[in-house]
Amino acid sequence: MDSLIAASARALAAGDALGALKRVALRDDPPALALRGIAMAQLGEHPRARELLRRAARGFGAHEELARARCVVAEAEVALAMRDIGGSPRALAAASATLEAHGDRANALQARLIAARKLLLIGRLDEATAALAQLDVRGLPPSLAAVAELAAAELSLRSLHVDAARESLARAHEAADRARVPALLAEVAEARAALDRPAARRLLADGEQPLRLDEVAALLASNALVVDACRRGVGTGDTWRPLARRPVLFALARALAEAWPGDVDREALIACAFRTRHPDETHRARLRVEIGRLRALVKALAQIEATAQGFVLKPLGARDVVVLAPPIDGDQASLVALLSDGAAWSTSALALALGASQRTVQRALVELESAGRVRAIGRARAQRWLAPPLAGFTTILLLPAALPIE
Amino acid sequence: MTSSKTGSKNSFQATVQAAEIVREYGPFAGADNVGGVTHDGQRVWAAVGAHLIAFDPESGETTRTLDRAADAGTAFDGTHLYQIAEQRIDKIDPVTGHVLASIPAPGHGADSGLTWAEGSLWVGQYRDRKIHQIDPATGAVLRTIESNRFVTGVTWVDGELWHGTWEAEESDIRRIDPKSGAVLERLEMPHGIGVSGLESDGAGLFYCGGGGSGKVRAVRRPKATRA
Repeated sequence: MDSLIAASARALAAGDALGALKRVALRDDPPALALRGIAMAQLGEHPRARELLRRAARGFGAHEELARARCVVAEAEVALAMRDIGGSPRALAAASATLEAHGDRANALQARLIAARKLLLIGRLDEATAALAQLDVRGLPPSLAAVAELAAAELSLRSLHVDAARESLARAHEAADRARVPALLAEVAEARAALDRPAARRLLADGEQPLRLDEVAALLASNALVVDACRRGVGTGDTWRPLARRPVLFALARALAEAWPGDVDREALIACAFRTRHPDETHRARLRVEIGRLRALVKALAQIEATAQGFVLKPLGARDVVVLAPPIDGDQASLVALLSDGAAWSTSALALALGASQRTVQRALVELESAGRVRAIGRARAQRWLAPPLAGFTTILLLPAALPIE
Repeated sequence: MTSSKTGSKNSFQATVQAAEIVREYGPFAGADNVGGVTHDGQRVWAAVGAHLIAFDPESGETTRTLDRAADAGTAFDGTHLYQIAEQRIDKIDPVTGHVLASIPAPGHGADSGLTWAEGSLWVGQYRDRKIHQIDPATGAVLRTIESNRFVTGVTWVDGELWHGTWEAEESDIRRIDPKSGAVLERLEMPHGIGVSGLESDGAGLFYCGGGGSGKVRAVRRPKATRA
């Protein structure tokens, strides 16, 4: 390390990014480029930071692969902060292997954590879970451990494991506290607050009741038969029948559940499922077919019996029927509720689930996107929609522990 | 390993042995990076970024701290300390800690090692793999020796010019011919242990800064091997 690099690194470590930049602003040797990149990233100049880190990585000699790998990790971290997830995971995996081979375990783990967070961000939850499970958090510096726990909390929340999420968040808090990074502590606090916000409504005969995520989870885990208009499905305990791809069946299930323990007459069912106010015999025939399909799908949970006017839902055993709805009404709220599973949805799948046209859904998504409530990845036919992270997907940069010099 | 890159003739003569680390000092409180070391006859001085510290090599106790920017090499001329800070070399009174004079560093901030010998300062220029001999009054470059590795610490002892190298996780302490730059002798540091500053104690030891490890290491100097 030379004197200006050392002085610049010292300024950076003291939080003086401008001071760090000033010292190496005119230098183009790889360690200087790396320091400039890191300083720029800390100043929020992400595109410039990426470019500098890329140039730094290229500039290090073939035998300086450790320094180069650290630059690759820093660049990946910046890309993640920019929510640019288009890059190939190969370079990052190679960098991780190089760091591991050189005994730089903290940065190798950071590379793998970035890869896991990237999977989480693009809605590949199973792969993200597997990648996170392989990380040995004990070996991580506290700031990285906090981010790993935040990612774990996010995954738990997506699958409604609220207790596990709380435990992860408690560990994240403890790690952020040790790391003494105020921004990280704030993000953990924000994630914890998300647990206390209304996540859904329980529709009752005489009104409705807002529910927090843990209350939703408790309801789903209870003995009750839950017709969930957020995730579009019917379930009780461990049994879950997704109906997101069967909008007509879901509309029927919801109508029957809302009327429970009473019945619903045929005209009303036809109106809500087929959206027509002038039913004829063909509609009645179709209703019989659709009720038959629903009956078959939910037969492990409930029976659907014919009455004089229409049909009635009879849950098996002595259980209640509960209807869950998104926290507010409207297409947008329904979209957000659907996306809350954290998976990546195509526009057509969302349109199908909501029984709306693709154009309607597209319009609602564009409005939600501009409000920052949904995210899109990919383009054209490959475009997918995702909910923004619940557990505050950390935006602070965790750049490699050792600067890419020496 | 690197010898093949230097002129073939000299490199084959270089004797190579593993560096024998006798003792480790530090890391020192409030210092996570050692950029330079020197020896004033009694104490070892280490440049640790925001200040210079002196410790007793017997006890390892820190005996003195000067609040002076100390980013890279350190030297002692018998009276004063010289310290590379950013793009300059400060001449420091070790008693008061005052900066008495400053000259520009020859590498404009790309400088690493520093030593005093025979009325000149010798400065390593890290990634440029050079050692400059400069006039301590003006900073004028008197001559330049090329190395084939990144140069960190520089020291003279008994008429021998030694310098530390640190490049891509590999580090050594090497004696070179001050005229040709040919490598005469090399002490290889264990893998992953770097040399970020070098000073002889005038007797049987070298003190080496350990960079980001925050340590100073004492390495045994081989008995004179000159033929």
